Amino acid sequence: MKILNIDAEKCSGCRLCELACAFTKEKRIIPILGRVNVFQNYAWGLSVPVVCTQCEEAPCIKVCPTEALYRDPETNVVKVKEEKCIGCKLCVSACPYGAVVFIPEKKTVIKCDLCDGDPVCVKFCPTGALKYEEPVKATLSKRREQAEKIWEVL
Amino acid sequence: MADGYAGKYLRVDLTKEKFTILPTPEEWKRKYLGGVGMGAKIMWDEVPPEVKPLSPQNRIIFATGPVNGTLFPPSGRYEVISRSPLTGWWAHASAGGFFGPEMKYAGYDLIIIQGKAKKPVYLHIDNDLIELKSARHLWGKNVIETTDRIMEDLKDPDVKVAAIGQAGENLVRYSCIMSDYFRAAGRTGLGAVLGSKNLKAIAIRGTKGIKIANKEKFNKLLEDAFRRHSPEGRYWEYIESFRKYGTFSLTDWENAIGRLPTKNHWTGYFENAEETIGMEPMRKRHYKRHASCFGCGIQCKYSSVVKEGKYAGTESEGPEYETVEGFTSNFLSTDTSALIRANYLCNIYGMDTISVSHSISWAYESYEHGLLTKEDTDGRELIWGEDGMDDVIELLEEIPFRKTKFASLLAEGSREAARRTGKGSEAYAIHVNGLEASGQDGRPHKSLGLTYAINVRGADHLTSLSSLDELGYKEEIKRRYKKETVNILADRWDEKLKGYLVADMEELYALCDSALLCKYGVMWPPIYYHQDFGKIISAITGFTEYEDPKNLSKLAKRICHLRRCFNVRLGWSKKNDALHPRFTEEPMPTGPAKGQVVHLEPMLREYYQVRKYDWKTGYPTKKELEEVGLEDVAKELKKRKKLVPVYRGKKAFQIRK
Ligand code: SF4
Ligand code: SF4
Repeated sequence: MKILNIDAEKCSGCRLCELACAFTKEKRIIPILGRVNVFQNYAWGLSVPVVCTQCEEAPCIKVCPTEALYRDPETNVVKVKEEKCIGCKLCVSACPYGAVVFIPEKKTVIKCDLCDGDPVCVKFCPTGALKYEEPVKATLSKRREQAEKIWEVL
Repeated sequence: MADGYAGKYLRVDLTKEKFTILPTPEEWKRKYLGGVGMGAKIMWDEVPPEVKPLSPQNRIIFATGPVNGTLFPPSGRYEVISRSPLTGWWAHASAGGFFGPEMKYAGYDLIIIQGKAKKPVYLHIDNDLIELKSARHLWGKNVIETTDRIMEDLKDPDVKVAAIGQAGENLVRYSCIMSDYFRAAGRTGLGAVLGSKNLKAIAIRGTKGIKIANKEKFNKLLEDAFRRHSPEGRYWEYIESFRKYGTFSLTDWENAIGRLPTKNHWTGYFENAEETIGMEPMRKRHYKRHASCFGCGIQCKYSSVVKEGKYAGTESEGPEYETVEGFTSNFLSTDTSALIRANYLCNIYGMDTISVSHSISWAYESYEHGLLTKEDTDGRELIWGEDGMDDVIELLEEIPFRKTKFASLLAEGSREAARRTGKGSEAYAIHVNGLEASGQDGRPHKSLGLTYAINVRGADHLTSLSSLDELGYKEEIKRRYKKETVNILADRWDEKLKGYLVADMEELYALCDSALLCKYGVMWPPIYYHQDFGKIISAITGFTEYEDPKNLSKLAKRICHLRRCFNVRLGWSKKNDALHPRFTEEPMPTGPAKGQVVHLEPMLREYYQVRKYDWKTGYPTKKELEEVGLEDVAKELKKRKKLVPVYRGKKAFQIRK
């Protein structure tokens, strides 16, 4: 099973992922409707995309009183059944990342569903800060990059 | 109703402390699109020639365009439009970063500022909330301090801030507006306009959205646009290099054609530049991290740091190519640590790196020729090379505060400094119509000579520069222009047909600066052309008429004419379409373009044919203005006797396919 792998060091802060997500999911150009949001410290030029990590022990599912939040048994992805959401916002406070967001106009919460296995943010990310890959491969590729840095010094 | 726009614009009268929010008129959208186009319309209507640049009646307009803030890359910019305190003419400057899109998300296509606040203030906008807040505690602070403090005051680390530094407060004629800390609306001295109005900053936050007229079309164009920014695109090699090195990869490319201004534009070749100040040494010595503007597929931004020596620890975003040239080869210096320091100082005090470096190098060359002495320079010996860089750095600390008479003289810009100094020092003030020449030279790149001469804001590289002949994009020339013109157009030393080429670029960039995309992607490398703008404007706004090249060309011409007419009303005429003698009379002394000069006249003739300007006076023609929908403008110019009834010159030759 693949995961959304975030490499914050690579992120340039262009926010393409955020807009692409909003446009794909909501058909509108509104950055806050992106399931992923990029946070920036302009003074130091640092940026980090923040998005649901599909927790194994998902607090949002646990607190949801209506089972609007559930885990897709096939893909293991945490999803929202919008018609079931009553807008109690318990999940919003339970999520440690702020990855579940309540949208007043919609009267429901929104969150990343990994675009059913083809995340659009990854397609738009020009730097490789967002990748969709096997967890083991992800850690190994990070380690390889470390190794490459060491080779440079050697 | 057109989509793609925020839909409203904000007018702030600082004298009356009054805000007016009105729907952005349909006529402005359809006829002027946005950015510099709308800016030109407002400047023409509201700023008559009597209004001096630093008077409260002058306007300063922050403008976005329909493409801004959409997903279409690179759409993170905004334009600032006014009348320039440096040149006295039309002024526009643009910055990337995040401020522009945020304006749209807050709900404003434009912010028009007029009047003068009694005391220093800053403007705070949070969607529908608009307030003027005291900036007493910010006055005297640099750009970083100001931005940090505003974020603290508002308790909002995501607020986007455009601010002036001390240079703007002290009316340094080339002070700029800095947004998101390091992005400069650099040229023409717009920081001083804000300073004269006592407006220290604009802080903006928005959470609204933008509607797209034709989503399906937009989606298709998007896919195509991102493909062009990928390894499948034609220009991947350039994009990759911008991503890896930033825009200073241009240093190597320019030196290779003998067009890297060196020693105050004396020559265009800096020996060994590739090994000393080129992209490899710069990256190796100073590269810190990669960054980007909003919604960009190129991503040329990065920050640099000085790792050792007396400036160790100095860190700032950039430097851009123009700044590299300004603070290295321009002073015959290979000291890249001094360069990073200079860039940092310009950023925090808010000064245009191009104008300040070339104003200082005016002094260096004047000193070399004995026109300035130690008495004029506060006891300094102004010498070229690495050893002279200490004085450059010191001056950068003094100019923003006008600390001494000499610093204050330099703060006026090179044209005025030379005028006051006299003794022939004008020969070393390398400006055109008051704006210091940027990191280009017309001698190795003839069309650039014309670019400098006819630009509405003087010697800059962003209003009509052709990169096609410059960097030899021959395949692109083949795609765009008629077969028989290709070899001539591609020859950067041949003046022939370049008047038509520059006019075409001017129109293309007028669209770019009004729809509002970044020039990278249109110029270096030339990814988009007219038809791309027609399509994207149509998909976003629903103005389908712009898919017809005739209508699109009319729109572009309208914007070009209107800006020029603004200048004509101020007194611009044929004699202003000229160059500094350095480019026309002093053959290039060294480098690959040795011996070359610019022959302006043949190019100017062609350019006049396209614009249908009168060859004797440089004035526009009534019929042409009416044809592009500027009837009122024609009427007013006629009253002022600055209009020619019929065009009697030759017909322009069509180079486009
Ligand atoms: S698209 Fe990639 S580089 Fe751009 S902000 Fe998102 S994660 Fe960062
Ligand atoms: S190309 Fe560079 S300057 Fe232009 S929008 Fe992208 S990052 Fe900004």
